[in-house]
Amino acid sequence: MTSVVQWAALAPLLALVGSLINAFFGRSLKEPAPGVIASLMVAGGFVLSVLAFIGLQGMHGGVQVTLWRYFTAGTLHVDAGFMIDRLSVTMMLIITGVGLLIHIYSIGYMHGDDGNSRYFSQLNLFVAAMLVLVMASSFPLMFIGWEGVGVCSYLLIGFWYRDRVNPDAGRKAFIVNRVGDVGFLLAMFLTFKTFGTLNIASVNAAAPGMLYGSGVLTLIGLLYLLGATGKSAQLPLQVWLPDAMAGPTPVSALIHAATMVTAGVYLIARIGAVYAMAPGAAGTVAWVGALTAFIAAFAAFAQTDIKKILAYSTISQVGYMIAAVGAGAYWVGIFHVLTHAFFKALLFLSAGSVIHALGGEQDIRKMGGLGRRMKITGNTALIATLAISGVPFLAGFFSKDAILSGTFTSGLLAGNGADALYIILLVTAGMTAAYMFRWYYGIFGGQSRVDAHAAEHVHESPPVMTWPLGILAFGSIAVGYLGLPEFAFPNLIQRWLEPATAKVDFNTLTSGTDWLLIGLSVAVVAIGLAVGWWVYHVRKGAPVAAIKDSNLAGASRGALGFDALYRILFVASGEGISGGIATLDRDVVDRGLAAGGGGGAGLVGKLATLVQSGFARAYAFAMLLGVLTLVLVAALTGVLK
Amino acid sequence: MIALFVLVIPVVFAVVTGLGGARRSAALAFGLFSTLATFVLTLFLYGSSGISVPWIPGFGVTFTLEPTGAGSVLTLVAALVMIPTVVMAARRVERSPGAFVALMLLMQAGLSGIFLAHDLVLFYVSWEFALIPSMLLLGAFGREKRRAAVLKYLVYAIGGSFLMLISILAIKPLSGAASYRFTDLMSVTPHLAAATQVWLFVGLAIGMAVKLPLWPLHSWLIDFNEQNHPSGAADVMGTLYKVGGFGFFAWAIPLLPVGAERVGPVLLVLSVVTALYGAIAAAAQTDIKRLLAYASLSHMGIVGVGIFGLHLAGLNGAIFLLAAQMLSTGGLFLVSGMLYQRRHSFDLDRFGGLAKSAPALAALSLFVLFTFIGVPGLANFPGEFLSLLGAYQHHPWLAAAATLSVVAAGVYGVNFYQRLYQGQEHEATHEIGTLEAFALIPLIAGILWLGIFPSPQLQRIQVQSRLIAATTTSASAGALLAAPLPDTTTLAGAKGGPLAPPSLPGEGPVAPDAPLGGGQ
Amino acid sequence: MVPTPYYVALSALLLTIGAMGVLTRRSAIMVFLSVELMLNAANLAIVAYARQWSATGVEQALSGQAAVFIILAIAAAEVAVGLGILVAIFRNRVSTDVDELSEVRS
Repeated sequence: MTSVVQWAALAPLLALVGSLINAFFGRSLKEPAPGVIASLMVAGGFVLSVLAFIGLQGMHGGVQVTLWRYFTAGTLHVDAGFMIDRLSVTMMLIITGVGLLIHIYSIGYMHGDDGNSRYFSQLNLFVAAMLVLVMASSFPLMFIGWEGVGVCSYLLIGFWYRDRVNPDAGRKAFIVNRVGDVGFLLAMFLTFKTFGTLNIASVNAAAPGMLYGSGVLTLIGLLYLLGATGKSAQLPLQVWLPDAMAGPTPVSALIHAATMVTAGVYLIARIGAVYAMAPGAAGTVAWVGALTAFIAAFAAFAQTDIKKILAYSTISQVGYMIAAVGAGAYWVGIFHVLTHAFFKALLFLSAGSVIHALGGEQDIRKMGGLGRRMKITGNTALIATLAISGVPFLAGFFSKDAILSGTFTSGLLAGNGADALYIILLVTAGMTAAYMFRWYYGIFGGQSRVDAHAAEHVHESPPVMTWPLGILAFGSIAVGYLGLPEFAFPNLIQRWLEPATAKVDFNTLTSGTDWLLIGLSVAVVAIGLAVGWWVYHVRKGAPVAAIKDSNLAGASRGALGFDALYRILFVASGEGISGGIATLDRDVVDRGLAAGGGGGAGLVGKLATLVQSGFARAYAFAMLLGVLTLVLVAALTGVLK
Repeated sequence: MIALFVLVIPVVFAVVTGLGGARRSAALAFGLFSTLATFVLTLFLYGSSGISVPWIPGFGVTFTLEPTGAGSVLTLVAALVMIPTVVMAARRVERSPGAFVALMLLMQAGLSGIFLAHDLVLFYVSWEFALIPSMLLLGAFGREKRRAAVLKYLVYAIGGSFLMLISILAIKPLSGAASYRFTDLMSVTPHLAAATQVWLFVGLAIGMAVKLPLWPLHSWLIDFNEQNHPSGAADVMGTLYKVGGFGFFAWAIPLLPVGAERVGPVLLVLSVVTALYGAIAAAAQTDIKRLLAYASLSHMGIVGVGIFGLHLAGLNGAIFLLAAQMLSTGGLFLVSGMLYQRRHSFDLDRFGGLAKSAPALAALSLFVLFTFIGVPGLANFPGEFLSLLGAYQHHPWLAAAATLSVVAAGVYGVNFYQRLYQGQEHEATHEIGTLEAFALIPLIAGILWLGIFPSPQLQRIQVQSRLIAATTTSASAGALLAAPLPDTTTLAGAKGGPLAPPSLPGEGPVAPDAPLGGGQ
Repeated sequence: MVPTPYYVALSALLLTIGAMGVLTRRSAIMVFLSVELMLNAANLAIVAYARQWSATGVEQALSGQAAVFIILAIAAAEVAVGLGILVAIFRNRVSTDVDELSEVRS
């Protein structure tokens, strides 16, 4: 069985080949050839992942595939190699599975765009990099995938580069990610210093032997967290994701919903052994996740762009995942990654359908009532909305519930405010239901506020775009059943992932408490939906049409002003500092040293020329002095005796 | 013997090209042949035998070339970079292309001498020998303000080398070595008194710091790059000539370990400053050449961080970065030459939106640019990563500060790309030509080779790094050496014998003795 | 016999006067004269010591006398050449003022 699993190592290579084909020959291929080639490559990756999944049944560990030696420095040996175990194969399935659906969708969405082949080339490259990220057996190799997805994200956000706004957004994403990367780099350096190796499995094996709660482990955990916040758009580095909506919608679906932003969650789950030994770091992770979830949910209320609402929603949901892995419930975090991938991708793709149908309109104040004209899109969007809100029997309910009970019972978070965390996440769940209802209703329900001439060509999307919507909708319902609550039902995903992640203590609850928790979350969701129904439907969608201009609304729209603050604090001052240093260098260091050195040399030269006066008597005098000196020296030191 | 030919062939062809008149086709043919032949030879350089003959017996100066170690890696990469640069120069220089190419070849000979010399005086002679063509390229072929730039360049370079010369002349009599050969010096100089070592080291350090370049002795570099010939070829030569780091690595630190330990921290701080200063200043530049100059200054700062951290990984990384940046910085300078060809200006504001009419050029430049800012998987990353990792082991705070330059690099990198290629296009431009593609392809191949399979080159560099790690106590105190300490007196006859790196467990055909490391 | 130090003192005095003459006189002829004076001062010193040595070492004495002859001859040759140059210069300019002959200046 091992050999089947090993073949999975080819998956990134397939995607890379697809990328290169489209890069070099794409422009001479006729549509839809580039898209089909790209999709085939991802499909191949999916098949390999499924085979690996089957091959891993019955195996508790994983399969290491080492390709070649990457770094050499004394005892530092880093190999370019893959570790295909239960955790990584789960991520691979998500990446290639959902990725395949999005590739197929893109064939329709990007039809007619003259950058068609460039798009698919970059999208394939992204899949390759993301696969490397989740399959890497060592930190530097993971970092290659980590930055690789950052590069692809930069390229794809700024895909329509002629409009300045888009490359600007890409640039912002890249630079904010780089700040997080500094954290990742420093974490790697410290990891090497502490463990003497950069192999992930070795670090995980060595961690339990270290001092519990030691400063070094906590610092390592915090530094990796910094990296994770950059990639997963969490506090304080969350500002790039809303701007990233400038890219094509399928890109938002794949990169900024299903996969890249979950890289941080994967990282923390992967090195859970370290966090399990560092409760300070773990607690910080959980709080970062919870606070981000809350703030992002708050910000979603006043947004008017169809994609920006979903962007803040993504930040919020990833916050849930981060909170879960911070609490030590690693399988729960990955479970939510799985469910979220389905319903968030579905939400984005249906948004794409709507934008497509309205000829580019993205303001929800100019939408409404589209559910009647776009049945498939509307219905699948409804399923996704209910799923993300956590309505029972849909996927989101199971994973969100698992997160809530995980944070409530975590032994790792004990004493770090586990209860407060739980409350925050619970309230946020209600907010999620409310703002998602606003989103759904503002677009598909109620009265139509669509522009007259846009309303003319509103049409349902072609099958190449609606079939993926259907499949994702099915997943948004079905996937949840993999993770039924353990206390009463068989939980497949927990049993699958737990052996691959670190062991953390959880308090067990009585089944009465468990049902109570479930009841609480259902109640909160119901309240949220009811509030949404009342505010937006009963009052005829007025607040959707015109956002009240209050302080609260302003704070929400500006997402608590992080962006504005960073603009002043970093961008403006950064430009000032860099201009200052440039001027300093040119005028002070350059003039100073050069003037000093050159001037000094010139001065000495001028002094020297005074000797060459051509004045014969001066020469004679000098000669006389010289002779006198020689004579005196000879006489006084007796050299000639 | 191969080493000798690597030195001699460019000289011979330089003379031939220089005498062959200014005919462009002759310059191109001779230049191409010479650089290709040299490159092929450098592929077999590692593992070949060196040569050692007495040169000035009265002073104990020998002519010793030793291809084992880091020098072979640097010579190899430099030879690779020379090929497209010579072609670009031969085609793009308007008057006297023959003289230009001849100067470039002479400089290549000097560079090979610097990297392969195993005699201190030969090292110094090559160091100065390479200066002359560099100065002539700037002075005779540069742009409007070249006079001032040459003057500044010379004052800095000669001022520094002068102090270096004093140290070099003093080191042999003070230590009582038998000759200026590395092995002879190595057996006695580490035992010099600490104060002596410090002074000698400072003398060497100033000369090498100018060439590194290290803040605050870097100002010559900015004008040097700005005023050089717009084809970018002379700037590429300047990049190859950034040998200060190598000087520290191969000579100053191994010969004077106590001096290095005492003075090292100061130089480390200066390197961190250089790394940050260069990157931050680069972000504010509007002239392409100046931006690249400051950005490459930042890279050299990281090289310094790797070296002065005095840790095996850092040393490996620093020299690897030196090699890698030859490809990436050189590539970007050639791209700048291509851009100048189109707009006759280096002002960033005159560009914009070029990706529309020149998508292949945009894609290739983006690739080189990402290499330049250290994106993993490409050539610069292993060097940067290991340099910072090594420095972090002994000086965490300083290394952390240097790592911040990564953010600044992201800023100036994407700013650069955006202002050139994205946005609205004012006037159309022509796509990449065959000449330009031919120029960039070897560099890209080199970048991929070094980025994906860095290990073989790292192992070759390690042969020399171990020497430093063995003698500087701070590095060996880190207890991160697994292999036995090398027997320094047999370095000359090493050839991968007693100094061969430990064999690797299982996978991967990485035999360091085969040319190019025999990787995949 | 007059003691040697007296001769040496006289020689030193003559040398100083000659040096003063070289440094302060502006006419080229006077400079030559002073140079001759200095040379002869040296001759005087040599002859004085030669006589002192004649009591103890005939070799030194004789070489001393020979040296004086050589110096006299060379002085004469040098003056001849120098006056020749001076005449050539005088042909180009009117004055022989030394200060004005400063074309060696950078």
